[in-house]
Amino acid sequence: MSEVKASEGSLFIQHFFKDSNRALSYYLEKMNGYQAAKRVLTELTPDQVIDEVKKANLRGRGGAGFPTGMKWSFIPKQSEKPKYLVCNADESEPGTCKDRQIMRYTPHLLIEGLVIGSYAIGCKHAYIYIRGEYVREAKLLDEAIQEAYAKGYLGQGIMGSKFDLDITVHRGAGAYICGEETGLLNSLEGKRGEPRVKPPFPATSGAFSCPTAVNNVESLANIPFIMRMSGESFAKMGKIDKSGGTRLISLSGHVKKPGVYEVMAGGMTLRQIIQDLGGGMLGDKRLKAVIPGGSSAPILTADEIDVIYDVEPLQKIGTMMGSAAIMVIHEDTDLVKLLLRITKFYAHESCGQCTPCREGCHWMESLLHKMIKGEAKMQDLDLLVEVAQNIGGKTLCALGDAAAGPVISFVKKFRPEFEAYIKGQKKYA
Amino acid sequence: MPKCTIDGKEVEFTAGENLIKVAARAGVEIPVFCYHPGLSVVAQCRMCYVEVEKMPKLQTACSTMAGEGMVVKTNSENVIKGRAGTMEFLLLNHPLDCPICDKSGECDLQNNSFGYGNATMRHSEERRTFVDVDMGPVIEKNMNRCIHCTRCIRFGDEIAGIHEMVAVQRGNNIDITTIDGKQLQTEYAGNYSDICPTGSLTLKDFRFRKRAWMLKKTASVCEGCSKGCNIEVQHEGNVVYRCVPIENQQINKFWMCDEGRFNYRYTQDPTRVLEPMKRDAGELIKASWDSAMESFRAEISASKVSFLVGTDLTLEEMATIKEFAGLSKITVEHFGTQGVESTAQDGPQDTILKMKSKTSNLNGAEKLGIPAYSGKSSTDTVIVFRGGRAVLPAIKAKKVIGVGVFLAADTAGLSLVLPGFSFTEKDGTVINHMGIEQKLRRAVLPGGRCKAFSEVLMLAMNKKALAGAVS
Repeated sequence: MSEVKASEGSLFIQHFFKDSNRALSYYLEKMNGYQAAKRVLTELTPDQVIDEVKKANLRGRGGAGFPTGMKWSFIPKQSEKPKYLVCNADESEPGTCKDRQIMRYTPHLLIEGLVIGSYAIGCKHAYIYIRGEYVREAKLLDEAIQEAYAKGYLGQGIMGSKFDLDITVHRGAGAYICGEETGLLNSLEGKRGEPRVKPPFPATSGAFSCPTAVNNVESLANIPFIMRMSGESFAKMGKIDKSGGTRLISLSGHVKKPGVYEVMAGGMTLRQIIQDLGGGMLGDKRLKAVIPGGSSAPILTADEIDVIYDVEPLQKIGTMMGSAAIMVIHEDTDLVKLLLRITKFYAHESCGQCTPCREGCHWMESLLHKMIKGEAKMQDLDLLVEVAQNIGGKTLCALGDAAAGPVISFVKKFRPEFEAYIKGQKKYA
Repeated sequence: MPKCTIDGKEVEFTAGENLIKVAARAGVEIPVFCYHPGLSVVAQCRMCYVEVEKMPKLQTACSTMAGEGMVVKTNSENVIKGRAGTMEFLLLNHPLDCPICDKSGECDLQNNSFGYGNATMRHSEERRTFVDVDMGPVIEKNMNRCIHCTRCIRFGDEIAGIHEMVAVQRGNNIDITTIDGKQLQTEYAGNYSDICPTGSLTLKDFRFRKRAWMLKKTASVCEGCSKGCNIEVQHEGNVVYRCVPIENQQINKFWMCDEGRFNYRYTQDPTRVLEPMKRDAGELIKASWDSAMESFRAEISASKVSFLVGTDLTLEEMATIKEFAGLSKITVEHFGTQGVESTAQDGPQDTILKMKSKTSNLNGAEKLGIPAYSGKSSTDTVIVFRGGRAVLPAIKAKKVIGVGVFLAADTAGLSLVLPGFSFTEKDGTVINHMGIEQKLRRAVLPGGRCKAFSEVLMLAMNKKALAGAVS
């Protein structure tokens, strides 16, 4: 992991990468721990909290970028059913490893975020749904939660207020689809991890058919900062409209210094991130392409990276920021093989309930296999794109789009590489 | 009432109705696989795409509720392309075995492929195949034909109240099967076959016996219990091949139980008595109607007689018998299900459809004022009128005569048997436990030399009286 290089105003990064930082004592002394929660529970109404988060322009950090404050405001104020706050710690988008650092080094930040969020929406029992592979992180979270219970930051009458909250850590079994919020909720309920039909949205009928907000780890961990510095100041940290605060970036691939970094939202271009944070290309090779937002984001060519790294600018050029996982690809990379690997992943992770994704992802994988083995014809390349188009936008959840996006963009931008395999100019090694 | 527009036609709807239902009222059919009006909506098959104005993506009509002023297109280029895409995906792994598949001719996949799919195939990879589990005596499974609509899983969970069908594995390898490969436990298993949109779950009872398009269909009522589920008797060449439920929201919704579904079998049992039989030296011997009626008449005029009518008779049959008995001062009592002698004792046997009374017309017998068999009135001869399903009680009498439908096994105590019509062979009215009058319809003609009860009673009148009645 890279060394800590905290720039001015960064929120998380200076606390990462040191095991002793995860202790409650560190959080209380060095990070003003649980002070924001105390103020919220004793001085503010739930509506004031939601307003503050709305003002902060905190976008969901999981992938869709939906404003967190807005999400909370959809939870009905009056409800006979209990309400739930569920933290999505499934972090399953390939390339993403930022939530892991939060859970490893600042678990109490997440717990405090959950306390404040639960208070805001009226939840008495929050869940952290953590991916199965995060064995160590689940254990660390459990320990941190026990610490918080022991000191009265969780449980009955938190910090002398009338607010009660329990947190349960629920471990998944390692399925990508359980990072999709309704698939996550099914899994949490003990059902098959399959996305649900929407509507109804989780805000009205989520976990156990009760109103539920599902928020990413990083989104929730930002909440204590917002309540400490005010929503307005948080919003101002963002260098671009509609995005407040900082973004944790998982930088991987062919850079000299891969790792998790923190930038002001919209504060850097993709090129600056690769050059300044990543230390430039590995082995000083030429950049060929960048996948800017986790493996499901459409690929960018080397000419497209002078783009502000944030939600709207990336959307404008036909890709997405997703979970802010940047994968840098140098000139020696075989993109056909890379696409096969990505497609194989989505075919493997397709839950199988809806037709285009179940059948189509596997078909795309077979077609790519054929190409690599030199058995494909030129029309198979167009067929591949057509299959992807028949999946994209047609499925029950976003997994279909996630699988189709890379295929369409890879073939569109790097078609000669595919043709080389088909023409037999390139052979599988 | 709010209105929306479907393919240019304005349609009224009630809040909460999905576009499939609303479109159907406008005469627009939307193809479906996973959607079933009696089950929850999962929007998995992606066949029912429609285009809704102001929505960028195609919407699934099953999960889209009609809204005021909504403008829906079901035949735009986008929709046609979307549906063709889904059809292509569904057929990637589906075997082209329609000629030997029992679903052929009534298969949603076949119909929708013809209506909305492509004629050519672009897939040349190997198809996925499965090894099938034994699903028990009712259903034959062929997973290779499955299109993963999950109707069966939802039927088990939501209607049959048993979680026995499940999806295992994921993605391309997903297998729809029973938990741990066990046999089906539900007593409603036949419905799995009805709702399966392909030939993946077929009825063992029906397999390879008749092509679906050759069947004639007669709407009737099940005689299996006092529920009165609406059924279609499907037959050809005077043979009944199967009974399937038809929709009646008041009574059986879309379903029926296996007991009722396979009840028709006894009407075609090789041991069914189809000729008049007379007991001679302990053996039942075939007799002519003339000689059998001779004995019948002798019995009625010579000894003290009482009538027992099964609660599996139609209202019309019961009324005729009662009237005849009234003229001759003969007592009439009813029998049907042991332990359920009145509608007061009747009630649900489970939480789904089955009733305790195992005959169709207990309510009708009561409405006609026929009391239950008490066994108290001592008569020399008891004449039993039976539709075929009522269970004979222990009868204390010197002689018992059977009129109606009997299998060889039912005839042990009978001295005379006059064959009659079963429920698939006659018209008539039955009243179910809710008091709803429903019509049985004749689907087939009985074999042998069966006669209706009314004809038997006519013949039973002495010749003089008969002559008088006729003249």
